[in-house]
Amino acid sequence: MSLVASEPESAVAEAVIGFAAQRLVPLVSGALYWPQENALLVADLHLDKFGAYARRGSLLPPYDTAMTLKKLEADLKATGASEVIALGDSFHRDESHEHLIDADRLRLLALIGAAHWTWISGNHDRLAHGLGGICVPGLERGGLTLVHEPKRNGGGLVAGHLHPAAQIAINGRVTRRRCFVHDGETLVLPAYGAGTGAMNILSPVLAPYFQWDRLEVFMIGRDRVYPVSAKRLVRMGD
Amino acid sequence: MGRGLASRAGCTDTGTKPERPVPLHPKISDWFAQRGWSPRAHQLAVLQATEAGRSALLIAPTGAGKTLAGFLPSLNALVEAPGEGIHTLYLSPLKALAVDVQRNLMRPIEDMALPIRVEARTGDTSAAKRQRQRRDPPQILLTTPEQLALLLSHEDAAAMFKGLKRIVLDELHALVTSKRGELLSLGLARLATLAPDLRITALSATVAQPDLLRDWIGGLVPGAGADLLVAEGGAAPELSILRSAVRVPWSGHSARYAIPELFEIIKGHRTTLLFVNTRSQAEMLFQELWAQNEEMLAIALHHGSLAVEQRRRVEAAMAEGRLKAVVCTSTLDLGIDWGDVDLVVQIGAPKGASRMLQRIGRANHRLDEPSRALFVPSNRFEVLECEAALEAVAQGAQDSEDPVSGGLDVLAQHILGSACAGPFDPIALFDEIRRAWPYRALTWEGFERVVDFVATGGYALRAYERYAKLKQTTDGRFRISNATIAQQYRLNVGTIIEEPMVKVRLVRGRGFTRGAVTGPIGRNGRVLGEMEEYFFTTLSKGDTFLFGSEIVAFEGMFENEAYVSRSTGKDPKIPSYMGGKFPLSTYLADGVRKLIADPSQWHLLPGQVEDWLAVQRDVSLLPQPDSLLVETFPRGERYYLVCYPFEGRLAHQTLGMLLTRRLERARAKPLGFVASDYSIAIWGLADMGALISSGRLSLDELFDEDMLGDDLEAWLDESALMRRTFRNCAIISGLIERRHPGQEKSGRQVTVSSDIIYDVLYQHEPDHILIEASRRDAARGLLDIARLGQMLARIRQHIVHMPLDRISPLAVPVLLDIGKEGVPGEARDSALMEAAEELMREAEGR
Repeated sequence: MSLVASEPESAVAEAVIGFAAQRLVPLVSGALYWPQENALLVADLHLDKFGAYARRGSLLPPYDTAMTLKKLEADLKATGASEVIALGDSFHRDESHEHLIDADRLRLLALIGAAHWTWISGNHDRLAHGLGGICVPGLERGGLTLVHEPKRNGGGLVAGHLHPAAQIAINGRVTRRRCFVHDGETLVLPAYGAGTGAMNILSPVLAPYFQWDRLEVFMIGRDRVYPVSAKRLVRMGD
Repeated sequence: MGRGLASRAGCTDTGTKPERPVPLHPKISDWFAQRGWSPRAHQLAVLQATEAGRSALLIAPTGAGKTLAGFLPSLNALVEAPGEGIHTLYLSPLKALAVDVQRNLMRPIEDMALPIRVEARTGDTSAAKRQRQRRDPPQILLTTPEQLALLLSHEDAAAMFKGLKRIVLDELHALVTSKRGELLSLGLARLATLAPDLRITALSATVAQPDLLRDWIGGLVPGAGADLLVAEGGAAPELSILRSAVRVPWSGHSARYAIPELFEIIKGHRTTLLFVNTRSQAEMLFQELWAQNEEMLAIALHHGSLAVEQRRRVEAAMAEGRLKAVVCTSTLDLGIDWGDVDLVVQIGAPKGASRMLQRIGRANHRLDEPSRALFVPSNRFEVLECEAALEAVAQGAQDSEDPVSGGLDVLAQHILGSACAGPFDPIALFDEIRRAWPYRALTWEGFERVVDFVATGGYALRAYERYAKLKQTTDGRFRISNATIAQQYRLNVGTIIEEPMVKVRLVRGRGFTRGAVTGPIGRNGRVLGEMEEYFFTTLSKGDTFLFGSEIVAFEGMFENEAYVSRSTGKDPKIPSYMGGKFPLSTYLADGVRKLIADPSQWHLLPGQVEDWLAVQRDVSLLPQPDSLLVETFPRGERYYLVCYPFEGRLAHQTLGMLLTRRLERARAKPLGFVASDYSIAIWGLADMGALISSGRLSLDELFDEDMLGDDLEAWLDESALMRRTFRNCAIISGLIERRHPGQEKSGRQVTVSSDIIYDVLYQHEPDHILIEASRRDAARGLLDIARLGQMLARIRQHIVHMPLDRISPLAVPVLLDIGKEGVPGEARDSALMEAAEELMREAEGR
């Protein structure tokens, strides 16, 4: 059949998150680009996650780490960022960096060599490691506080940990995607790791973290990030 | 009542006659004689075959004393020398059946005072008793395929089964059509290795291809072979279709129109079984009956989502003859005969002739009296389908499903189980596996690939050699690398994957305030039952549906429970029909096609249906058996394309999905589609009729078989269906662990979601063994690709386009389904875009 693909048409502009007087660009990959600092923020890489399962007897495909690193390479190239700030749970286990398969380790070391890295510790990877870059419990930068877990402390907080996803229902169809979410004081990134799951932001578990009347949500689509009205959010079978 | 073991006096049998006198032990002949009974020819024929060292497949209708036929060789052998250890293993698809057979088998054993122990072993058997059974097994053990797999995974399996002489397989026709049958065949092949003397007796209802079933058991025991024994049926069933004085509706599945007539019918019989195809239809019908039950007849409801205790209560009441009618689903298709059922009513589409014959057999278990059944079509197409089913049953046509084969996920489970029992020699295991019919064509390379999958995950990237679950010993055998693996295996054994279910809890309503997101509402309501989780993904707060015969409103999901409140509304908003599991059989589809195309047969139909077809003939065309009618017409602000392949809902959904993709590329701007068992309707913004008439859209190209190539693959690999079959394959093969009830209390899941695993694996190894297995399952089951392919080949160059200026009579039913049936979900970015645009409009104050 000689059929021609039609282009999607949309009037929606590139999403930008204005947060704590900073201009932040959410990427389809799940990373957040910070132009002022020329830095790439990523949360919850969970490198070696499937490998950690394999060590306990579930032989999950050994490709999640490579996929995550590949996304990172592409993001660095596309943004030209000179710095990476990893917001914790970068490794699925404290000992994970010792278990990486050789190809993944080389890939990671090349990435670490290509930018300045700051590793913020998370609940999965509390211990510092010696792969390169600096390991810190948290970071203050340009008026923002960068941490793993979004504990309330008065605004400008950028964190990961929650693995947020949003669900909307339109025309009877439910669509669920990872999302960036903030309430003006706390901004949470989606989990970046290829092997990570996500949790509906309407889940009661996430309730204490946000002021719900001020919620702004950016859902990750196939080719772009879409701002979505909080009124649209649903929680169904999720 | 129970499933009768013995025949009644005076019943002659026209089945296979034994060639020489049968060595029936005098004690047993006396037992028959004392009761004034005599063994039937087919019962003796089974004995004959077994004594001659052969296995046997006995095909017999309900009421023919099949169970006794299966056990007669065992009783005959055990009557003198009961011996120690398991002599006979009985396997059935239902644990209830095992328990019932035990009760019935005890009667002759106690009558004759035989020192034979008969015990059932099911998931419900206590751990202590199960342990004792392994240490000190009974002579006759009654169990299920899953329990057999468990027993075989223990190190003592060889000792336990070395004296096994007989296997009785009950309802084999029902087992072989699913992965359970594959697992069973592998277990049987193992038993035949452990006990080379064993002989198999398989019992089955009438099937389309009895030779396949005979081969299925025939190859298992080297040198045994199997005889096919067919007991002729008793009296032909008496079937009729309800000729309602009321109009049969255009669409829908409720049969509401027939309720008053159904009451009269129920009153006229002792116990009536009312079969429907889905749980929600059962709910709906029960609700309707109850609302009009002025005489307070004892009517009960029985389906798989009800709490077990509730089902048991209904079964007990039935057995005691306290019920006038039971509304039920396929949960009562098989198994024990509860009560004195004298009429079976099939409400809605019969779907298949063999299925109907079995359901009809639920009424009246006396071979010499006809079973009585009534078809009640719930819409006009179903009138045609019922007519075709009537004809098929009258001719004794069979359209049962054939046995499935080759499931690699099941094979992986079996190989791991084999290693749990002890180190295995790969060549010996390969030979043994190939004796199982579903794996008769397995190649050595294929086998090695599955072993590698079990050992290391089978990935192209050899990352897990150090974590391998199977290790090779110096003599070339494979053993499990640690004892935990056997424990994990035993928790995951079996091929039945339950849909994730959620509890449905009745709470006080709160008036559906939008935007309230936290905290449960009054938690203390009672649990009404369980329902498939995916049903709730389509619901919005406040949507009403039927559950447990009440209309309830959805309040929300709270920690793996669905909260609902009582609704005052009269009509549930969400019909939740969900199609049912079984598509219209090819045989009945042919019948319906012929009936429509042949006006000389229309006099068989009710006048209103005849008129309907006549008007169709006048304003459009009648679909013909060997072509495909495509109608196009405008309606409202949209353009419609309706076609009539009659290939069943599953094949139609696949076709609808693929056609929509192609129409999108042809710039016909399709918006959606809906599929029934008979037809597909697609609607869109472009005038598809004009596109076709002007030659800009070619129907031959649109319906070209090449859609089953790239288009199918592209759609399938990203579709939710594929993720569902992948999940099942991943669990059965042991890649991920089964979720056990009560394991998911915490909000955060411990296990990795199978969707994520699929995404990672698909990107890197789209030809991995598990993705291949999932693709195959999807094509075979949910997509019905084979049938779609046959249809596309049949209608090639035979597509008839009928442009109309308005809707045709035949198109009315499927168009009425629009909006009632959820379009199977492809999550698309268009929804996100719409939400974002809405936000923009809001921001701009529009």
